[in-house]
Amino acid sequence: MTASLERGLNALREQIDAPVASFFTSCVHCGLCAEACVFYRETEDPRYIPIRKLDPMRRLWRREFTLFGRIGAMLGLVRPVTDADLGEWETLVYDSCTLCGRCTLVCPVGNDITLMIRKMREGMSAAGHTPKELIGAAVRHVETNSLMGNLAPALRAQVKRSVAETGIDIGFDQPGVDYMVILSAQETMDYPEILSSMARIFKKAGISWTIASDGFEATNVGVQIGSRDIARILVARVVEAAERLGVKGVVSPECGHAYQALRWEGPNLMGRAFNFEVVHIVELLDRLRAEGKLPTKGMESRRVTFHDPCQINRRGGIDREPRRLMALVASDFVETDDAGAMNWCCGGGGGVGANERATKLRLTAFKRKKAQLEKVNPDKLITMCAYCHHTIEEAMEEYHMEIEVQGLTDFVATYLDDEPAGA
Amino acid sequence: MKTRPLLSETMAAHGVSRRTFMKYCATLASVMALPPALAPRIAQALERARRPSVIWLSFQECTGCTESITRSHAPTIEEMIFNTISLDYQDTLQAAAGHQAEAARHQAMKENYGKYLVVVEGSIPVANPAYSCFAGRSNLDVLKETAAGAAAIVTVGTCAAYGGIPHAMPNPTGARAVSDIITDKPIINVPGCPPIPVVMTGVLAHFLTFGVPELDDLGRPKAFYGDVIHDRCYRRPFYDKGLFAETFDDEGARAGWCLYKLGCKGPTTHSVCATVKWNGGVSFPIQSGHPCLGCTQPDFWDGGGFYKPLSVPTGDYRALAAGGVGVGAVVGAAGALVGRGVKAEAARKHETVDAHDLEKPS
Repeated sequence: MTASLERGLNALREQIDAPVASFFTSCVHCGLCAEACVFYRETEDPRYIPIRKLDPMRRLWRREFTLFGRIGAMLGLVRPVTDADLGEWETLVYDSCTLCGRCTLVCPVGNDITLMIRKMREGMSAAGHTPKELIGAAVRHVETNSLMGNLAPALRAQVKRSVAETGIDIGFDQPGVDYMVILSAQETMDYPEILSSMARIFKKAGISWTIASDGFEATNVGVQIGSRDIARILVARVVEAAERLGVKGVVSPECGHAYQALRWEGPNLMGRAFNFEVVHIVELLDRLRAEGKLPTKGMESRRVTFHDPCQINRRGGIDREPRRLMALVASDFVETDDAGAMNWCCGGGGGVGANERATKLRLTAFKRKKAQLEKVNPDKLITMCAYCHHTIEEAMEEYHMEIEVQGLTDFVATYLDDEPAGA
Repeated sequence: MKTRPLLSETMAAHGVSRRTFMKYCATLASVMALPPALAPRIAQALERARRPSVIWLSFQECTGCTESITRSHAPTIEEMIFNTISLDYQDTLQAAAGHQAEAARHQAMKENYGKYLVVVEGSIPVANPAYSCFAGRSNLDVLKETAAGAAAIVTVGTCAAYGGIPHAMPNPTGARAVSDIITDKPIINVPGCPPIPVVMTGVLAHFLTFGVPELDDLGRPKAFYGDVIHDRCYRRPFYDKGLFAETFDDEGARAGWCLYKLGCKGPTTHSVCATVKWNGGVSFPIQSGHPCLGCTQPDFWDGGGFYKPLSVPTGDYRALAAGGVGVGAVVGAAGALVGRGVKAEAARKHETVDAHDLEKPS
């Protein structure tokens, strides 16, 4: 089977349900979502108004799901959705939306615009209108074990390096341990220090953990490209590995959409509840802090601020946890404007960062983050998503900004008090 | 022709201090919705004004408007202003009678031709002019004759402005408004049954200082008739909360709730009653517990009952609404069925997406 307009439209029809119908019906065209969108705010291009990005799906709904729309279609008043329409909308749905969820939060009638963009991507992918980089990533991930191709050798090398550094063993495929840890490709390749940090923290807290050799990749390109069939294949690898090893829980790493894919979409994709817990690493750290299992020594005295990854805070609910951890190890912590659930997106999530042609737009969108940072002028920026980390570092390079960026787990581990007593 | 004294001189003669006069000008500026900075300009213009000649014609009316302006609860500054115009003809107030009175009117017209102001109180019977005459001449006749040399006409009261109560159904006298008869002079309508005294003097002051004021589509000065009473009513918060008096002696009436359901016409009536109020600012009808009758609006007497709420529709609207709900439910259910069918068909047609399917064949 190949992608076609008919397949795309059919996928859209499958996605249109009661919530979508009520969202389209209740939209009052107030335009508040425009101001909430980082891409609209930084370009003021009306094409980037969030609800407008759904226009083909809205038209399909009107034509085929509403009585008056059907009558209108018969009279030739409601245009059909063409392949050219979907082609035009490809850049809107994939390049100018990170699924950050800010529009959903401001909508006065409660329309979940983000959910609808996710649904619209189902139709776009089935119709063959997706950025080629995402298609390539999907093929690699389905054929091997990661969107970057076979990462197993790289991961083993990183683990070996970490063990040598900390002297703490990290075992593969150990059944019956407390947690199975999964990693995003970004961490495996760019920020492997997370392995040592977790090893030290978990050892101090007395937590046993493992990595599954056939289910270590946390990212899910199926969620980004908008194909639940592909997303199911990928999430199933993690779910099945966790169930086979019989772990208590799976630790979702510092990766936004990975958390989204496993914790929120996961059970829906699998069609069943999991018999293990999915916990974000920062959630787990805060839990350890509360239980007194996260002793720290010393504090960062330079000025530090925090970037909220949209999939983990706004769409994931982890808001207070990182703040409590920051209070533990940073003495000069400063919040940016709009910090917390309404924080501005880095501009790289939801597949935008992988999308070569969106680079210019992504860097333009970053100006909002840049302005936020310049106002508080920090020495260091902490976040809890490796992809935000990567996007921000790259954009700062572009704008010649000198702010150090670090993952929260790694930051906390820097001040972990794990010297043996009396040493 | 003897030199008429300046307005300021007359005021001084009546014991009105300069300070009181300036305060009055500031009040006028605010009542007329003019910027406070214009108060000195009003004062200057009023001070320099020669007493303008005013001819007051009383036609089919009850003299209530004259009562309103003259029977203020105490000698007020409005009254002083009123006194300081040269009221050359006013058949209720003037000492002269009969031929002498008519002679006074003719003399004033001759001396001030083209400059005098005509104030009209009451409507004009047109179907049968004999209903209202004086000195053997019909109102229609006198109005036409007097208006010919007027600078402008001010209609005082709803009768002169829109026909008022004489014009109410079935209108036996064929009563008409001034604007129905005179079309070639500026006409300033000051409706009300009666109008508020300060509104009448305010309009006169505006005419003396700045000429004819800005008028709305019913010929009323926007400064005094711009807002509806409802928008300025102190009972408005009750309306917004949906708290209404249902009868004149229920809890709501005692608690001072909105009188909308008792027929209050405040929402459609343009006047400053709620802010300027009556009797020197003591109260106004709604504050006294009675719904507004809408007396500044044309045909207020024929609105279908003073105690009928504005929005009560006629006809069997309940059955219509029930029918509407039924039809809506059927249309909604049909729509849902359509949607369900499309969705089920789409699910049946679903072909699993494989990563290798994503590329579109070119």
